[in-house]
Amino acid sequence: QDIQTVHEVSGTVTDASDGETLLGVNIMVVGTTTGTTTDMEGNYTLSVPSTDSQLRFSYIGYQPVVVNVEGRSTIDVEMEISAILGEDIVVTGYSAQRRIDLTGSISVADVPQMQKIAESSVSRQLQGQVSGVTVSQSGQPGDEPSVRIRGIGNFGNVSPLYVVDGVPTSTIGDLNPRDVESLQVLKDASAASIYGARASNGVIIITTKQGRPGLRVSFDSYVGYETPKHHGNAFNIASPMEMAELEWLAYNNSGLTPSSSLYGDGTTPQLPDYIAPAGAMEGEVNHDDYYVNPYYTNTGDLGNFYRITRANKQGTNWFQEIFKPAYTVNSNLAISGGTDDASYMLSLNYINQEGTLLRTYNERYTLRVNTQFNLKENIRIGQNASIAVWENPQSGSLDEGTATGMVYRQQPIIPVYDIAGNFAGNFGAPLGNASNPVAQRERTRNNTGENNRIFGNVFAEIDFLESVTFRSNFGGSYATSNWSWFQFPEYENAENAVVNLYGDGAWNGTNWTWTNTVTYTDLLAEVHNINIVLGTEANEDTGRERGGTRTDYFSFNPNYVNLSNGAGDPTNYSWQYENALFSVFGRAEYNYDNRYLLNATVRRDGSSRFLDNRYGLFPSGSIGWRISEEAFMRDVNWLTNLQLRAGYGVMGNQLNVASDNAYSLFGGNQLSTFYPITGGPTIFQGFAQTRIGNPAARWEESHTMNIGVNTMLFDGALEIDMDFYKNDVRDLLFNPELPGQAGLASQPYVNVGNVENKGLDMSITGRRDISQDFNINATVNFTTYSNEVVKIAEGVDNFDGTSRRFGSGNPIVRNQVGWPISTFFGYKIEGFWNEQSEIDQANASAGGVYQEEAALGRFRYADVNGDGRITADDRTRLGDPHPDFTYGLDLTVNYKSFDVSAFFYGSEGNDIWNQVKWWTDFYPSFQGAKSKTALYNSWTPDNHDAKAPIQENAGSTATNLVPNSYYVEDGSYLRLRTIQVGYSFTPDMLSYVGLNRLRVYVQAQNLFTITNYSGPDPEVGNTQSANASTTSFGVDEGAYPTSRQFLFGFNLGF
Amino acid sequence: CGDEFLTRPAMGSLSEDVVADRNGVETLLMGAYGALSQTGSQGWGDGLPGDGAWAVCPSNWLYGSVLGTEAHKGSDAGDQPQMNTLGGMNVSPSTGFINLKWRGLYEGIARANSVLSVLPDVPISEGVFSEADKARIEAEARFLRGHFYFELKRFYNNVPWIDETVDALTPQPNDQDIWPNIEADFQFAYNNLPAVQGQAGRPNSWAAASYLAKTYMYQQKFSEAKALYDQIIPNGNTSNGLAYDLVPLDQVHNPVNKNNAESVFAIQASADDGTGTIQNANPGMMLNYPYNSPFRCCGFYQPTLYLVNSFQTVDGKPLINDFLSTPVKNDLGVLSSENFEPHSGTLDPRLDWTVGRRGVPFHDWGPHPGQRWVRDQAYSGPYASKKHIWWQKDDQDVNNPSQWAPGTSYNIPIIRFADVLLMAAEAEIETGSLSQALQYINRVRERAADESAWVKNEFNRGYAFEIVNSEAEMLALEPTSGSWVVREDTGTTFVYLGGGAADINNWNEYSEPNYNIALYDDLGNQQQAREIVRFERKLELALEGHRYFDLVRWGVAEEEINEYMDYEGDFFPASYINEGQFTPNKNEYFPIPQRQIDLSTVGGTPALQQNTGY
Repeated sequence: QDIQTVHEVSGTVTDASDGETLLGVNIMVVGTTTGTTTDMEGNYTLSVPSTDSQLRFSYIGYQPVVVNVEGRSTIDVEMEISAILGEDIVVTGYSAQRRIDLTGSISVADVPQMQKIAESSVSRQLQGQVSGVTVSQSGQPGDEPSVRIRGIGNFGNVSPLYVVDGVPTSTIGDLNPRDVESLQVLKDASAASIYGARASNGVIIITTKQGRPGLRVSFDSYVGYETPKHHGNAFNIASPMEMAELEWLAYNNSGLTPSSSLYGDGTTPQLPDYIAPAGAMEGEVNHDDYYVNPYYTNTGDLGNFYRITRANKQGTNWFQEIFKPAYTVNSNLAISGGTDDASYMLSLNYINQEGTLLRTYNERYTLRVNTQFNLKENIRIGQNASIAVWENPQSGSLDEGTATGMVYRQQPIIPVYDIAGNFAGNFGAPLGNASNPVAQRERTRNNTGENNRIFGNVFAEIDFLESVTFRSNFGGSYATSNWSWFQFPEYENAENAVVNLYGDGAWNGTNWTWTNTVTYTDLLAEVHNINIVLGTEANEDTGRERGGTRTDYFSFNPNYVNLSNGAGDPTNYSWQYENALFSVFGRAEYNYDNRYLLNATVRRDGSSRFLDNRYGLFPSGSIGWRISEEAFMRDVNWLTNLQLRAGYGVMGNQLNVASDNAYSLFGGNQLSTFYPITGGPTIFQGFAQTRIGNPAARWEESHTMNIGVNTMLFDGALEIDMDFYKNDVRDLLFNPELPGQAGLASQPYVNVGNVENKGLDMSITGRRDISQDFNINATVNFTTYSNEVVKIAEGVDNFDGTSRRFGSGNPIVRNQVGWPISTFFGYKIEGFWNEQSEIDQANASAGGVYQEEAALGRFRYADVNGDGRITADDRTRLGDPHPDFTYGLDLTVNYKSFDVSAFFYGSEGNDIWNQVKWWTDFYPSFQGAKSKTALYNSWTPDNHDAKAPIQENAGSTATNLVPNSYYVEDGSYLRLRTIQVGYSFTPDMLSYVGLNRLRVYVQAQNLFTITNYSGPDPEVGNTQSANASTTSFGVDEGAYPTSRQFLFGFNLGF
Repeated sequence: CGDEFLTRPAMGSLSEDVVADRNGVETLLMGAYGALSQTGSQGWGDGLPGDGAWAVCPSNWLYGSVLGTEAHKGSDAGDQPQMNTLGGMNVSPSTGFINLKWRGLYEGIARANSVLSVLPDVPISEGVFSEADKARIEAEARFLRGHFYFELKRFYNNVPWIDETVDALTPQPNDQDIWPNIEADFQFAYNNLPAVQGQAGRPNSWAAASYLAKTYMYQQKFSEAKALYDQIIPNGNTSNGLAYDLVPLDQVHNPVNKNNAESVFAIQASADDGTGTIQNANPGMMLNYPYNSPFRCCGFYQPTLYLVNSFQTVDGKPLINDFLSTPVKNDLGVLSSENFEPHSGTLDPRLDWTVGRRGVPFHDWGPHPGQRWVRDQAYSGPYASKKHIWWQKDDQDVNNPSQWAPGTSYNIPIIRFADVLLMAAEAEIETGSLSQALQYINRVRERAADESAWVKNEFNRGYAFEIVNSEAEMLALEPTSGSWVVREDTGTTFVYLGGGAADINNWNEYSEPNYNIALYDDLGNQQQAREIVRFERKLELALEGHRYFDLVRWGVAEEEINEYMDYEGDFFPASYINEGQFTPNKNEYFPIPQRQIDLSTVGGTPALQQNTGY
């Protein structure tokens, strides 16, 4: 070798996004076999044959960089994560593909962008980040949002399948968001049906971070402050004096003489000084008579209590009493590193998020250890594991009985506390039967709840025969929860719970999956790319729960109370479950010259939930054509990539069937089948048929057709991905109600229903570098679908959802053939009956009663079926909670060391059934707080242009006793979900303190929401914890609203 | 790794072959008994079909008594609006309650049918499971099935008959009169049940005979009924072996004295069943206690003025045709803190075992305080229903406080001996001798005339704030408002109204109630005798869920219910009663639930036909 011609080049390779050095980057001299890799500090030194040589830098996950040496001896290279050109590898079902080779509909999340959103869970971060996914969340910490991929495809469980590091699971609530390396959503059958029987709701695939050579330490932390958004009057509740005036108005409107033990019997009401004793005035009450023992243990004592409570004449704002500012801290330490033969990643996350609602919080520790070892050149083993421990006491919401329901039900004249500082309530006064929501929350203070979950996998991979890899992956979860609660005896309410009771329970569950695959990958004759995967998978899910209660504790001290110490009767229960799946599957991909793509998958699943039709086959196929690679397109420079995709396939679902659906079963229940036959207290065991079996049930099948186009223009400056789909879900498992004559045994699930979803997913990304240190990125994710029930069951064209206080027979929600799932249902209001002559005229032309209970100031309903009368057949669809479309807009601006990002999320065209109005806008609805609307904006002979109907003493079907369009509101909104401003210190500033990286940022969440919805939060209706099911959602009866949050955080790298 | 791995057993349940033995069939039979109380499995007061237990309560307090002129729904206007609909006779096929009732009763039938379909498979083995055991089990199951169908028949009139031979999953028509089937079930039970049962809750042959006779009475088969009553009344005995008899008035409904000599067939309840719920303790009655009282909840089921006025007596006899011309004085519109002097005229002593009214001892819970225990007096009147109320001294034994409203071990009487006597009197009036009828009626009145079992002020002593000998002693006390003091010197009870205990004007004095009851000398002619026995049923069986069905059975529902609505509506302009109206040829029966018609529709043709008028 001629020493003169040897030229030495050295330099450092860094990550363009964060300036961190990259270790193990492959550097080759183009056209030779000479090369090297970067060392622990990202440095390299390489001898090149010529000063004109070209160097190619390549690194998995980054765009390759080719540099002309041009005589230089120092060449520093920044490498960009290969998000742009589609060279990046996407983890799909049981394999990985280059993004440009995908033929199915797969949304790849921009994980760094997602992780910018300081949130406690991955699903919350997901909102608006990928098209085709609708995420809806509440303000409750730890409340996992509902995640819906491409609409709602069945009548039961519509949650997607999550696959984390190759292990299927139903929840990712305990996954540390910072551990996520990649996230992709498999939306259509050609992408997802490799997951067969569990794919029909879509699949979300997540991989966690792995170590890379070299040591990296990062520490990220933030603290936040959350404020409830409503400082005012969240439900427009009337003041105590207005409440009294409303009572007078309603009585007068009903032709009755108002009189009340609280407000007197004058022509105008008077507020009392005391509500206990009811209606007492100052001086009439001897405070020495007060006697309340809040911790009474003898229920008979309650009769001796003498309560004294002053009227709160200004009015208690119950919303403000239970929603308070709250703090959040979140810290994450990650250490990773490795050598050529071994790598590790270790992370520790702590989050403590207080809820704005009293005594709700989410405190969680997560520890993750991921390791990988190259035992030999062709043998790799590894493991991923996370251990999460958390406490997350939640409050129910969207229901009249919860604290958020009591906020609009408990009358404002009631103070929080009585004269002695004990809880105040409505005992003894005509103030309804709601509870004091502060008391309700404070009485949960001794409750406990601990959850633990170990989730992870171990795997081994062996390469043999050059192009074949065998992989065995065993993973799963072991999870436990235990909880206890104490029911304090109540004394302040009209209807008190009087026993003290302690309950204790625990659950544990094991879910394992063992997957074995063989993968063959080859490139034949330079143009035939072949990839074949064959595999088997076994899954078992088992668990048990047990619990008990006891009453009658001598002391309520939580250190004393346990199941052993109560003096009352103990109760206990337990139950167990087990399910299993076994599957074989295969996938073949073929790619000719990067232009023509073919993909076929098939999976055969067997499930323990089925008996006669245990196995199901789920095939799919798709094709792709990269037009931009064709010779005739080569000259079109502005078109970087144009690819057409089409696919068709079948996915399954087995979740909507009880494990024992196949069998006719008998059993007993102490409460409904046992009987005290001797006349003594002992109840004797009795049985009844509990289930009618259907051995013939089988899989639900989702037949999906997808057509997509991927476009990239101007070298990635503009990227548009679009997918159209039609998803026909057949043989839906549904348990149609049997005639009453069949008895009440659980009716079997049968495969009868059919639901169709059609839609469009689109994402548009634009990038523009205005100058070297000024660039802008914008991404819009757009999701729209239309949902229609095609069939329910033979002879059944509808079934009803919730009816709340309207009672059975008066559903708010109806699921009807031809309508979307969970359609709002009732009478359509045309206006008011303003004149008696209108009623007389309507009756005359009806030849009888046109509308039952029609009267002045009440609602006039529309004669929808045109038969000249208002009957139950005039009830119609009044709206539905499905959005016309949802969208997320991400904007990022980087300028020098500053970065600004804003994320907007919106939902358009979703309706909300605002059931709160039933309570607040109608005087005769169940007693409780009422709204100013009822008093000031209700129909009177002088006010025909009112919002609410005439306020009366008694309800009627023409006002509040049947569901009607009064409650339906447009729930569209646009929300600035997040705005963040960050500053990164430059390396020279950091070198003094030995840091690699330091970024500080401030973030605001939910800064503003544009909506016409009258409730505190338009984002209601299908959160997981709420009282809402798939076939009955979008009903607001007191939400846990999202709050405004401000936080300060930093990212630190060593 | 295949089928074996995928075969997973059903957890926590039994298959049919496991229950098809002698223990299994006995347990299935017990499950059929469990359906009597029509209570569900959720544990807070749900009925068997899953909604509020009050919609399906087997006492029929809503359908028999509230619809039958005896009680207001109670509470306030906005509470349980479906009850307003029902009470105003505006029930429609889509009223949810009647669908719940249908489903609950048919579940009882399904459970009885489970017994009957498994029973033939249980092998006879002498000494272990004899023919007699088998016959008894069949007879008990058919008795229970007869009971559920009797309810369905008088409720809906036209219902499909499902027995163990009929496929219940396939919609069946309701085009046959099922009285013959019900008769057959009770006849079988009568023929095969023993006269004495080991457990008091099981019906015996006499209970079956009584139910069969009642079935005849509903069909106006008076001579068949009379023939049975001629056997039952002199010879009958309870399941636990007590000769049928009337017990003292204060013991009839007392849960510590249940399954007494008067109990022909009753639904058993347990307040102390160890479940921590009230589901075996009459959850269907949980609403029916005074509000803001030691009973807590919920102020429903308030007797009507119309009912209370019926208890007026002149010379010890009721004012059968004239009871509305003079009202019983009440405290409507009077606050509990204001003075009130109760009615001074003579009353039937049964009133105060039926109705709680101000100033009268509410057992030993003190004088009823009136308005303070009532949710909305102006809406539903001043009274409280009382037959299911227990004594404070028995609270530990018969009350279950585990939920937001109380449970009690009170047995719901389906047939009690007084009912048997009065039905027998009816049968005699229609087909036999008026003097025999007179004897039956007087036997019931004689029991009521036993002064030792009347309501007395001395009930107030047990939990009085103080028992004193003089006014001075009383005025020196430091009571809180509502406290009551028993005065030895006056023999009266004083209630402190508040405002200063030293002032005698702040005390309300209550004397003994004024009772007078006498026997009938004769019943007059047949028509007069009918009126007497029908009125006597009201006085004796008020608030026990019979009245509406009796009025329909007698064909006088339109007349009497509309009279009641006119009368009562004037006092309660805001109540559903004010605009209520009984429509003949319609309101005699409830509609077939629309839901059931829909569910019975196959290929566009409903198997169930709607009743007349709906």
